[in-house]
Amino acid sequence: MAEETSPKETSPKEINPQEIMDFLKPKIGARFKTWLDICAHCALCADTCHFYLSSEKDPNMIPARKVRFLKEILKKKGKVDKAYLEEVYKTIYYECNMCRRCTLYCPFGIDIALMISLLRATLTSQGMIPEGLRKAIENYKATGNQMAVTKEEWVDTIQWCEEEASAELVGLKIPIDKKGAKIMYTVNAREPKFYPQDIMEVAKIFYVAGEDWTLPSESGWDDTNLAMFVGDAKTAKMIVENTFKRAEELEVQQVAITE
Amino acid sequence: MSLYNFVAGPLLWLSFAVFVIGLVVRIVTFLKVSSEKDKILYQHFNWRYVLLTFARWLMPINPTVAKTPAFTLLVYVFHFCLLVVPIFLQGHIILWEESRFRLSWPALPHLLADLMTIVFITIAVLFLLRRALSRDLRLLSTFSDYALLIITALPFLTGYWVTHGTLDAILSRYSIQIIHMLSGELMLVMIPLSKLSHFVLFFFSRGATAVEFGRRGYSV
Repeated sequence: MAEETSPKETSPKEINPQEIMDFLKPKIGARFKTWLDICAHCALCADTCHFYLSSEKDPNMIPARKVRFLKEILKKKGKVDKAYLEEVYKTIYYECNMCRRCTLYCPFGIDIALMISLLRATLTSQGMIPEGLRKAIENYKATGNQMAVTKEEWVDTIQWCEEEASAELVGLKIPIDKKGAKIMYTVNAREPKFYPQDIMEVAKIFYVAGEDWTLPSESGWDDTNLAMFVGDAKTAKMIVENTFKRAEELEVQQVAITE
Repeated sequence: MSLYNFVAGPLLWLSFAVFVIGLVVRIVTFLKVSSEKDKILYQHFNWRYVLLTFARWLMPINPTVAKTPAFTLLVYVFHFCLLVVPIFLQGHIILWEESRFRLSWPALPHLLADLMTIVFITIAVLFLLRRALSRDLRLLSTFSDYALLIITALPFLTGYWVTHGTLDAILSRYSIQIIHMLSGELMLVMIPLSKLSHFVLFFFSRGATAVEFGRRGYSV
């Protein structure tokens, strides 16, 4: 997958300690500070982690160990080098998928995933971001969806799906921008791009169930939020807001998201 | 002023002051910083999740006990002895009775207090061995992890010496009492200044995560 690109080729800028601290400082809330202070290093989180268990119990995979970077960066006041940040990058993207299972077993309830997320955001601020996600975020900004599907392509795909599906279920309709519908349905942008079959299947279910539903034509129909994975809160917010905006415009009661 | 009187007087007051004020500062800081930077906790605050999480983790009714029963049992016993013995020890209550506060409350039987002390020291030694021998623990541990465990166990060890005259042949009873008081004072001071601050921050950390997990329907 494209996401597995090394950060080297995607991070041309120099490390700026001041910038790292300016980014981190306002985000170190009471919880982060407390967690960094009270972790007892008891290792109860070790065998709750699937990365630890599937790496022959590599101690570097212990969740409490993985967040040492946050403590170290703060202690060094952001004065770290590229090689160090690349080590951080490897851990926070490929050795933790922020599933929060460790937190369920931590006696203090330390939220490791939230700290990993903050580290991802910090690296994003330094231009270190997986290439696949960078492209997706550019697409969100430009088109409102991660696959850069244009409005014409999207509407065209829906109409084509309706045609195909109605060959099987006569009378089936895929309502676009139907004001006052009960449900606004949203999809993963990969569906119109690669798996239109999924949209047809859902249309059949809605039709047979007799649901009053609609799809929005304007951006907000992509319910994935890949910006969230790199800690890009601004874009993540925009994506969610788009969906809310469409739901309000169409005066629907519910927003349903694809499986 | 003799060394004994200094350690039993001004130094004790000072360490109690650091202990109490330090913990108050910890709490106030958490509340102040969180009100600015962890607004989500206030937006979604719910006593139901918070009280439920306290109950589940202060008592052995949580998933970690089921997953790691032997170790967690030791942790519970360790903390129970740590809180109960110093407060309900006859020798300590007598000091409160003789003090300007004239306070008194029921004491633990001597035998039970002795037993709990020995159990506590034994568990502390086991924890120290676990930390030193396990590959995972060694990697995670810093100097302070070892030091704080020893600092926590020392008042119990020296207290046992005071009560039983174990070291009478080597040191005067006075000296041992001074060492005992110093070790207790050191532990008190270290509580707000180190990871031992989980004495109060446990409740804030657990509560915060309970709010976040509870609202999402996860286990708290």
